[in-house]
Amino acid sequence: MGRLSLGSFPLDNRRLIGALFLTPALLYIVLLVGFPFILSIAFGFSDVTVGNTDLSFVGFRNFLAVWENDIFRQVFETTIRFTLISQVFILIFANILAVIFTQDFTGKWFARFIFILPWATPVSLAMIGWLWMLDTKYSSIDYLLLQLGLLGRGGLLSDNRNLFWLAAPDLAQISVIFVQVWRMTPLATVILMAGLSSIPTDILDQAEVDGSRFMRTLLQIKLPLILPIMVIALLFSMITMFGDMTVVYVLTRGGPVDYTRVLGLYSFQVGIEGGNLAQGAAISLFAFPLLLAMAIFMLRTASRAEVR
Amino acid sequence: MSVVEISGLRKHFDAVRAVDGVDLSIQPGEFLVILGPSGCGKTTLMRMIAGLEKPTAGSIHIGDADVTELPPRKRGVSMVFQSYALYPHMNVYNNIAFPLKAQRREKKFDRATMRGKVEAIARLLEIDTLLDRRPRQLSGGQRQRVAIARAMVTQPAVLLLDEPLSNLDAKLRANARDELKDFQRSSNITAVFVTHDQIEAMGLGDRIVVMAEGKIQQVGTPQRIYDDPANEFVATFLGSPSMNILRAQSHRFGFRPEHFLPKTLQDNPNNSVSFDYFVKRVEYLGSDRLIYGYVGGHENELTLAKVPSNVRAALDIENEYEFAVQRENIKYFHEASGERIEAQMAGADW
Repeated sequence: MGRLSLGSFPLDNRRLIGALFLTPALLYIVLLVGFPFILSIAFGFSDVTVGNTDLSFVGFRNFLAVWENDIFRQVFETTIRFTLISQVFILIFANILAVIFTQDFTGKWFARFIFILPWATPVSLAMIGWLWMLDTKYSSIDYLLLQLGLLGRGGLLSDNRNLFWLAAPDLAQISVIFVQVWRMTPLATVILMAGLSSIPTDILDQAEVDGSRFMRTLLQIKLPLILPIMVIALLFSMITMFGDMTVVYVLTRGGPVDYTRVLGLYSFQVGIEGGNLAQGAAISLFAFPLLLAMAIFMLRTASRAEVR
Repeated sequence: MSVVEISGLRKHFDAVRAVDGVDLSIQPGEFLVILGPSGCGKTTLMRMIAGLEKPTAGSIHIGDADVTELPPRKRGVSMVFQSYALYPHMNVYNNIAFPLKAQRREKKFDRATMRGKVEAIARLLEIDTLLDRRPRQLSGGQRQRVAIARAMVTQPAVLLLDEPLSNLDAKLRANARDELKDFQRSSNITAVFVTHDQIEAMGLGDRIVVMAEGKIQQVGTPQRIYDDPANEFVATFLGSPSMNILRAQSHRFGFRPEHFLPKTLQDNPNNSVSFDYFVKRVEYLGSDRLIYGYVGGHENELTLAKVPSNVRAALDIENEYEFAVQRENIKYFHEASGERIEAQMAGADW
């Protein structure tokens, strides 16, 4: 044979192999993202319930009903508040930790490993752990505070032996936000670390020769250069958190009263536990235009800040 | 008095001896080129002068001060990187002003003084119309000037340049080389320039330091290094095509292709050494003919001759001719160490 025939083996066919490589991703998107999304839109505009699964079109009736519901408005406000407050802390912690983890020190590998664990652990498992630590009676945090003399009779924090982490309105909200920050910081940190290590070493060496010290290099060189990546990290953790229900479902079920009820959980409670699929879908869809607008805005900002 | 005094400088990365005992003094106002193949330790040496690497042993003095343990900002040096390392998110003005801002507290100057300094250096390098631009909006040559302006704005004792011309295309490079030399001469700054390009080194350097395997092989003017190499490495590293090296009983000897010409063309045939030269291949390069062949008795050692095109003598392949080299153009090297030895020591009596 004069030359190698490349078309003979089926996998050498560019179109075939292209299709083959794209199929898994396409299947994933269509079946696990696209289909449920379309279905929830269909549900949102219908009167479907668990008992009656016929879909008949009812227009915006569900959305109007949800919007006029005081509980929904409070849930919506709580969700936005929790998300924004935790993002502030996530960004601060992630930046500090990313800077620390990109320095050279002994035991860096182990420290990174330990640190990534909250994110690598299944959420529900981690939440059960937190449930114990924040338990009303057997809280290990309370036990520690008790040993330190901060709780119990004459204690600095309370005369009681417990702080009731998940039962007191303020503490419950703080606990939920704290746990969210604990859970989401590692991902943001890893993204920022990738950003920091992508800064060319020449630039950092140049800054050093130019006489710049640690803080100036951090604030005037490093942070501006990773700004686009920071926006991506923020977007990821914001969207994850905005739709999350696992944390509050395990820790508080939205209580005490409605203080920690967030959108994801409320949608689940109305749609699945309450059986009103149509309203549940409408509730979850309320977040969609908001998140979409936010994503577009942030990605635009990121690409505008992209300087390299 | 020298500006930079380096003695016994070493840098070992685990088992690798990147810089292995360097002594060097750099004179005020000179353009010193450090030349060597990649991996010879030239960049590590420069980074130690800048303070970006900590030496394993030895000392560095800049001016009167021992700076061996000092951080870069206390050394009075500045540096231009191969990539220019311009801060991409700052405009040209802020790039040039950055070292001033960083050293503002120590040097104590106000905003107006700072603006004056930036504008003065920008005018000198003819980039004063570009101050509002971002680095990505500049051409390669403009970026280089911004990098030099930023390095010069603090009036450093020494300007370190790490292959700053290698990112420019060939056409721009000759021009940039010329401008750089002009600028260095007029500003009278002490410059240390690292390169692996011998043409750059020969063209720019007042003195050249040839490095290999972490050690200085020779220090001297371009002409000295080319005409009077200290050892076989220097002899073969400089010159293109490189020096012919032939084996003798107890030593090696070499001569440059441009010195290896037909005997009839030698100015002083009585003072030359003749060889029977068998021509295998001829390349016509415009200004020269490059001839590949071998000399009698050295059939396994490819020997090149570079004959100017204005020499019309017929040189045909598969033919033998009488070629010769002037006696003073033959260099002798010690068999084991490769160091230069005198002709008498080599026992050569042509």
